[in-house]
Amino acid sequence: MKGAMAVIRLAYHWGAFGFLIGAAVFLTIPSVPSWAQEEVTSKIYRYRERVATGYYEGYEVSPRRARAILETPGIRRDRFSIGASAAAVRIRTHLPDSHRGLKFYYRTTCIECHPGQARNLHSMRAGITCRQCHGPEPIAAINHYYSAMNTIRRHAYVCSKCHEGATASFSGFYVHEPPSTALSTRESFPLLFYTSWGMLVLLLGTLAFFVPHSFMVGFRELLDKTKAPESSVGKLANSVSHRIMGGIRKLFEKKKVPENEVDDAA
Amino acid sequence: MLLKRFNRTQRLSHLFLMLTFLIQSGTGFGRLFITTDFGRSLCKIFGGYEAAIVIHFWVGILMMTGFTVHIVYLIKRIKRRDLVNSVMGPDSLVPGPQDAQHLFQRILWTMGMGSPPKLDRWAYWEKFDYWAVFWGLPLLAVTGVMLKFPLLTTQVLPGWTLNIAALLHRAEAILAASFIFIVHFFIGHIRPLSFPMNEAMFSGSVHLEEAMQEKPLWVERLKQEGKLEMMKAERPALWYRALYFVFGYSALGFGLYILINGIVYGRFIQLH
Repeated sequence: MKGAMAVIRLAYHWGAFGFLIGAAVFLTIPSVPSWAQEEVTSKIYRYRERVATGYYEGYEVSPRRARAILETPGIRRDRFSIGASAAAVRIRTHLPDSHRGLKFYYRTTCIECHPGQARNLHSMRAGITCRQCHGPEPIAAINHYYSAMNTIRRHAYVCSKCHEGATASFSGFYVHEPPSTALSTRESFPLLFYTSWGMLVLLLGTLAFFVPHSFMVGFRELLDKTKAPESSVGKLANSVSHRIMGGIRKLFEKKKVPENEVDDAA
Repeated sequence: MLLKRFNRTQRLSHLFLMLTFLIQSGTGFGRLFITTDFGRSLCKIFGGYEAAIVIHFWVGILMMTGFTVHIVYLIKRIKRRDLVNSVMGPDSLVPGPQDAQHLFQRILWTMGMGSPPKLDRWAYWEKFDYWAVFWGLPLLAVTGVMLKFPLLTTQVLPGWTLNIAALLHRAEAILAASFIFIVHFFIGHIRPLSFPMNEAMFSGSVHLEEAMQEKPLWVERLKQEGKLEMMKAERPALWYRALYFVFGYSALGFGLYILINGIVYGRFIQLH
């Protein structure tokens, strides 16, 4: 019986040892063979890859009705709204190349014309550049039917590059979130505007009440020469504060004395 | 003479909340300020930007477990036979009309008018402290889980709710941290009545003279009910006092480190 146990133990140890060696060897084999990675040199091929075929695809969805940002076709929401004929020239959200005909386009960078658009969580935290989502030239307008950024397929072409399993609802997250406290946000994203102002008022209101109130209570307690019993540090602090507060008290008392004398004299 | 104020469960709850809150603020504000030197050094304590979110999530789960345990504790503490008194009575933290009166009277007293209010066991600022955490925790938990699982969330809700969730999570975190690191720390440490440290939450007891001075109604009530002798507490051991002084001041230091750097570096981050 003892001999059988020894054999089993030996077999177990060698088996475990062999398994570890095998695992170590297995891990050194590259898990993804190099031929699985394609090398793309053709610009046309790349462009075709990110533009829709125009045929209805399985992942495409009808645009959701409930959207936070209200859009009216032909009317730009800005300080000055523009008419329909001017909108046809100036509003570029439906063009196959949204920057078509712009002068000196190739000498400018994205944020020269779109200031502040790079200040979002995707670029600030993950270091994602404009073109990683919006694509290389030509950049199709966001509402162009074949555009990768069109909301009917944005989740499949753009979001799911990193967020595996992204849905159309998921792509409704506003990457270029408007400044939450700005007055213009009340029209473009009202819920964000009211949430942020609500929380700001709550924060400032709480601090504006409790900070002065606590400090005044503290000051009043100092004036009353309150004792912190039995703690030696407290006693020391009290003797120091007692002297300071005694001095302040004397100042007040000196002021009061002449007033009484005047009253008595009268 | 020492008067018992907090039992062991309550003190352990406070310790638990202290530790989890400080870890959450360390990891959370470290990530919020990651584009600054302060955020990077704060994140480094917890193992960097990626490790901080893992800690933040699991400590959040731990916190919510603690919150659930606390709810069970609350339900157990309610006496069904004496429901009104145990929920609205003087031993309860539920705010009542007398709290507004105490607040008004105390404001007048700070300006030198009248006498300080005769407080019972829980003062209005202690009740505010409790309920601020009580509603803040579930809000942070719900928005935090929404942001942790965005794909699952957007299966139920539209995508723009994540923008709102992110805003709420940050705003509530800033609100909670600034209240704790300014007001709560001032009341617990710097206020003359509790300087250098209010030991009640660690030793579990307060001095009778101190209680008579600040909460005379509570002491009177105990005397009338004949519970004063029962509530007599032992003096905490010296090693224990030394331990909680060091611990309390470490927590204070960490909180002030976040507060001061948060104010200094606040203009380098954007909140949207």
